[in-house]
Amino acid sequence: MSDPLIRIEGIAKKFTGRDGVITTVFENLHFGIEPGEFVCLIGHSGCGKTTILNVLSGLEQSSEGYVFVGGREVSGPSLDRAVIFQSHALMPWLTVMGNIAFAVSSRWPEWNDEKVREHCQKYIDLVNLTGAEKKRPAELSGGMKQRVGIARALSIQPKMLLMDEPFSALDALTRGVLQEEVLRICAETKQTVFMITHDVDEAILLADKIILMTNGPRAKIAEIVVNTMPRSRTRHDLHKHPHYYRIRNHLIDFLVDRSKMFSSSAGDYDPRNPPLVTPGLDPNEAPAVDSVKPQVVSGAPLTVVR
Amino acid sequence: MSAFKDPFDAGTSLTRGCSCGHHHSEVEHQADLALQTSDSEALGNRVVEAAVMRAMFPHDAERRRFLNAVGASTAMAAISSLFPLGMAKEVFAQSGPLEKSSIKVGFIPITCATPIIMSQPMGFYGRQGLNVDVVKTAGWAVIRDKTLNKEYDAAHMLSPMPIAISLGVGSSPIPYTVPAIENINGQAITLSIKHKDKRDPKSWKGFKFAVPFDYSMHNYLLRYYLAEHGLDPDKDVQIRSVPPPEMVANLRADNIDGFLAPDPVNQRAVYDGVGFIHTLTKDLWPGHPCCAFAASKEFVTKMPNTYRALLKAIMEATAFAAKPENRKQIAEAIAPANYLNQPVTVIEQVLTGTYADGLGNVKKDANRIDFDPFPWHSFAIWIMSQMKRWGQIKGDVDYAKVAREVFLATDAAKLMKEVGMKPPATASKKFSVMGKEFDPAKPDAYIDSFAIKRT
Amino acid sequence: MKTLLSWRAPALSLLVFLLMIGIWHALTLPKVMPVTAESEYAALVGTAAATGQKSAFPSPSDVGRKIMEHLREPFYDRGPNDKGIGIQLAFSIGRVMLGYLLAALVAIPVGFLIGMSPTVYRALDPYIQVLKPISPLAWMPLALFTLKDSSISAIFVIFICSLWPMLINTAFGVSSVRKEWLNVARTLEVGNLRTAFRVILPAAAPTIMTGMRISISIAWLVIVAAEMLVGGTGIGYFVWNEWNNLSITNIITAILAIGMVGMLLDLMMAKLTKLVTFPE
Repeated sequence: MSDPLIRIEGIAKKFTGRDGVITTVFENLHFGIEPGEFVCLIGHSGCGKTTILNVLSGLEQSSEGYVFVGGREVSGPSLDRAVIFQSHALMPWLTVMGNIAFAVSSRWPEWNDEKVREHCQKYIDLVNLTGAEKKRPAELSGGMKQRVGIARALSIQPKMLLMDEPFSALDALTRGVLQEEVLRICAETKQTVFMITHDVDEAILLADKIILMTNGPRAKIAEIVVNTMPRSRTRHDLHKHPHYYRIRNHLIDFLVDRSKMFSSSAGDYDPRNPPLVTPGLDPNEAPAVDSVKPQVVSGAPLTVVR
Repeated sequence: MSAFKDPFDAGTSLTRGCSCGHHHSEVEHQADLALQTSDSEALGNRVVEAAVMRAMFPHDAERRRFLNAVGASTAMAAISSLFPLGMAKEVFAQSGPLEKSSIKVGFIPITCATPIIMSQPMGFYGRQGLNVDVVKTAGWAVIRDKTLNKEYDAAHMLSPMPIAISLGVGSSPIPYTVPAIENINGQAITLSIKHKDKRDPKSWKGFKFAVPFDYSMHNYLLRYYLAEHGLDPDKDVQIRSVPPPEMVANLRADNIDGFLAPDPVNQRAVYDGVGFIHTLTKDLWPGHPCCAFAASKEFVTKMPNTYRALLKAIMEATAFAAKPENRKQIAEAIAPANYLNQPVTVIEQVLTGTYADGLGNVKKDANRIDFDPFPWHSFAIWIMSQMKRWGQIKGDVDYAKVAREVFLATDAAKLMKEVGMKPPATASKKFSVMGKEFDPAKPDAYIDSFAIKRT
Repeated sequence: MKTLLSWRAPALSLLVFLLMIGIWHALTLPKVMPVTAESEYAALVGTAAATGQKSAFPSPSDVGRKIMEHLREPFYDRGPNDKGIGIQLAFSIGRVMLGYLLAALVAIPVGFLIGMSPTVYRALDPYIQVLKPISPLAWMPLALFTLKDSSISAIFVIFICSLWPMLINTAFGVSSVRKEWLNVARTLEVGNLRTAFRVILPAAAPTIMTGMRISISIAWLVIVAAEMLVGGTGIGYFVWNEWNNLSITNIITAILAIGMVGMLLDLMMAKLTKLVTFPE
């Protein structure tokens, strides 16, 4: 982590309840994201995942700590960091083109309409929405809406993309298709991405690194799992790779058991340098595979129950 | 009558006219009044001079200082050199260029407004070079407000209203004038048809009556009539103020038992079969005034030519209307929707005095309504005596002074002569109401003589 | 089946209409009464009074004839106090539009500011709550006294009654704009003014338009009453003038015209609301 694009240093979120008791959602988080890296954050509900993303985007202030982007501290939202919202957040009064053009003309206010339109068209084509330019969000399916959301975020050519469970509201089939699209687009654009998910398979499919959060309150980063599988993955042959089940089992094991029991005081845990693990390379992880439930074996995506 | 005070007299206040202020004694005061009444030509001159002086010295104090310093005759000469005063006087005397030829006069759709209304379709305004819009108005409070707002240059008012406005009763005091009475008589007490057997006022206890306005002859006459029959108008019956156009609808709906109202309201109640005419007010007080042609003192002094032309038109119309043979023609002119908005026969019955009484009889009374423009000062004093009797005004009232300032008998007399009518020699006379004599010189004694009163 | 259904509602409407007219007609059938009064007297009073009756409510055919009469010549002008029903309606609509547009000019920007700031919202709320329920006509004497002009007063009354629904709805619409849309604007570094016009205004537009629709209905209700009070011109004055003449046929005609115009104004606003409303 010599020169990360984004560096998080000791951020925490606390709030005072009505009874005056201070609740700490998470604290002492440290991590960094390298340029071109795809980082996923996994954790149970209540560990403050969305808050972390909002702090990164600048929409929310952390109670403690700092976020640096390219060496500069984040003080508010910026065009450098585009956000893809869970509920797509498209403006219903604008067409597909209008929604994207709103972003593009905000990024480059000096551009004329023609140039804005050309630029938008490029991204509409990129997310395979060619032909739907004049439709309004109400006329689109859930998957198409999220494609518009992705196109809008990418169109401003941000330094990094922040995605808040972007596919959680979609049906399994659509989700699968969109995941592959994202994989393809990231490969094409070398986009740096920070994504929140609670879908283990999604994380393994997309991420280079997977940050594991312990349960809140006082959530922490338990460890950072390095995805040792090759970058060129597809949903169909993912489970055929030897590392797949090792990583998957490691993650599920964490979410089911260890996320609750994690103790920061144990051993040589340093919150500034959470342990970097590579379960994919550990042959000991493998046996657990066969004991996992049948649908996992069939390769269907498993979603952690909230 | 500040318009007629000598503006070159340093002792006179022109802004808030009190003619008593510059007399040393009551004798001199009366003498001056007599002079004013007789010598209207000189008065006209003074109006012009006053207007010029006022224009040059808007503040009274400055004008007095100027006159004291240079003397009145010098001032007169100096001003004449700047302003062709002689010519201005001439112009006024001959009703010269109008300050304003398009004017608005408000009216309430009742036959009392006959001279104001008929002057429009019958061309009396046009003959004076005036282009007058006569505007129908919804009620007395609105006509008062619109006149005070100067939306109307002059208006049809109930004759007590200008007195009330000048006294500041019910609004802030603003000097108002009555240069002409619209009509005399012409009102009636109408009762719901269901009371056709209750002709004795003593049986009216608990009745609900409507009058057009609190400050109206109707209110005072109804109270007078009831009190003379032993009913206390505040305790034994209810009297409420209802705009004339809404009276028949209320009578029909049984909201009221009767009303003392202007025509055509009474005749309309008969026409629609909802009421009968109990008595005409002319039988209470023959020749009583009802409505007035009213204008603010400001209009009278700022636009003397327009004022004069307007008043002359009204006078001519009144003279025309006073002749019984013209009444049918007038009825046809003022009945359409633009004016009274009533069936012609209803208006005709009111004006000709041959009418159905609502009980199956045809009555004939040529004086049911009559037209005499002269604003008797004694009328104003009687009105004030009733205002005081019923507690509308409290404390001492300078009856004669208010009467003089509001009821412009001098102007009326002058113009009546011009249109061929015979004005009376004095502005005050004795008369009797329901057989009881009223002496305008002793209004307080008159009030004291009543058993039922609110003083 | 569908065409049958679509026929049923209008057919029922027509039936209700015919039924009402029928009942009305039956109730206003002229009663045959022997003429007892002498002819001279009968000539001086109305036909009902001549037979000892109160004047009757007009029949549907009387009203129908009157409506045709007005439709044939809606724009005649016979002096300042007698104008056609079309001219009177135009006066009323003109006043309503003027007062209403003035109210919109004030209510929408002010409502916007109130909606943007919870502090201002809370600070102004008590005033709005006190002023809102005042009958607009109660303002009339005050308006006449201070503005010193009756037609401006009537417009002021329209202004004051149109103001509150628009103000409250604008403030509500603005304050309840979806947080996500604002977040989108923030992440795109959109300036305040651009956010207001490009995000908040279109997002709040349906709510604002609902307020405007409520306002125009109230304004139309109020103008009739205001004109009855002040007189001069307008459909309210027409009703008053015909009340003065006890002409029930003309009053019914005017009531129908008022209802029609009210409906058209509401339809117009409904159309406009639809134009700015987008489902998600």
